[in-house]
Amino acid sequence: MSSTEEQTAGVDGVGREPLERWLLAVVRIGVAFMWIENAGWKRPPEFSSLRHFTELAVDHPVAAPYSSVVENVILPNLAFFGWVTLLLEASLGAFLLLGLLTRLWAIIGITQSVIITLSVLNAPNEWEWSFYLMILAHVALFATAAGRSFGLDGLLRPRWSRSAGQVPRLLMRLS
Amino acid sequence: MSTPGSSSSRSALALGVLGLTAPAFALTTSSNNNFVLVEGLALAVFPVLGLLAVVGALIGRRAVVAVAGAGYAAAALIQLVQLGLDTNWLDGSASTFALLLALAVGLLITGLLPEDNTTDRA
Repeated sequence: MSSTEEQTAGVDGVGREPLERWLLAVVRIGVAFMWIENAGWKRPPEFSSLRHFTELAVDHPVAAPYSSVVENVILPNLAFFGWVTLLLEASLGAFLLLGLLTRLWAIIGITQSVIITLSVLNAPNEWEWSFYLMILAHVALFATAAGRSFGLDGLLRPRWSRSAGQVPRLLMRLS
Repeated sequence: MSTPGSSSSRSALALGVLGLTAPAFALTTSSNNNFVLVEGLALAVFPVLGLLAVVGALIGRRAVVAVAGAGYAAAALIQLVQLGLDTNWLDGSASTFALLLALAVGLLITGLLPEDNTTDRA
């Protein structure tokens, strides 16, 4: 790869090998559909399935301080936190699917995966590596800035890179 | 008006095709629910707006792409408001909302983005 191509890859990802770009897009879109499908069973207003899994954090604690927060803050206000979860996971799916601000959403995905891990890691019949793999998949999306390959980040970053000001610079960092 | 082969038109085309083929999700099942819940009126809304986006992208009319995006945005808002209510016009869930949101944001961005002739490769 020439120095010009390396520079271009840093902006919009086109300097990557075609196979590399396709595979990164497959991983990004696959992770996006994981969130989209799992947003689907967050059903207001009762959020009964979400309540069941949230209660596992209390019944089978992973970290005592987190269990205490769940018991005293989250479960009594599940109507609110249920909507937060629904909107967060639906947005994770939507933005990772688009490849828009992918590094920001990868960090949010890591955070949400850690929260899920703290809730259900010690629950019966759960495979611990499914949660570790969720975290690692988002680490990979962040490390590879996967939205630059067939994502809207690849479309928008060249424009942001030519714009002056704090906002375009921030958007460059988040993508 | 934009160049049909431009990168924003290609992005709009890809998103339009996703909307057009979304009824295929009605064929998918998993242990929890459908991959994306697409049934009832959503079986028509997704492909009709997707077709509009595809046509807009192919003829290079950004306004048409933006209208399709606005249509998906309206559908996403309706789906969000009706989640958990007895009235559910699109027969969807939060997964339906997520896909509508993606198509709305993506098509509005590609439809409203000014033409960029300096870098057109993404």
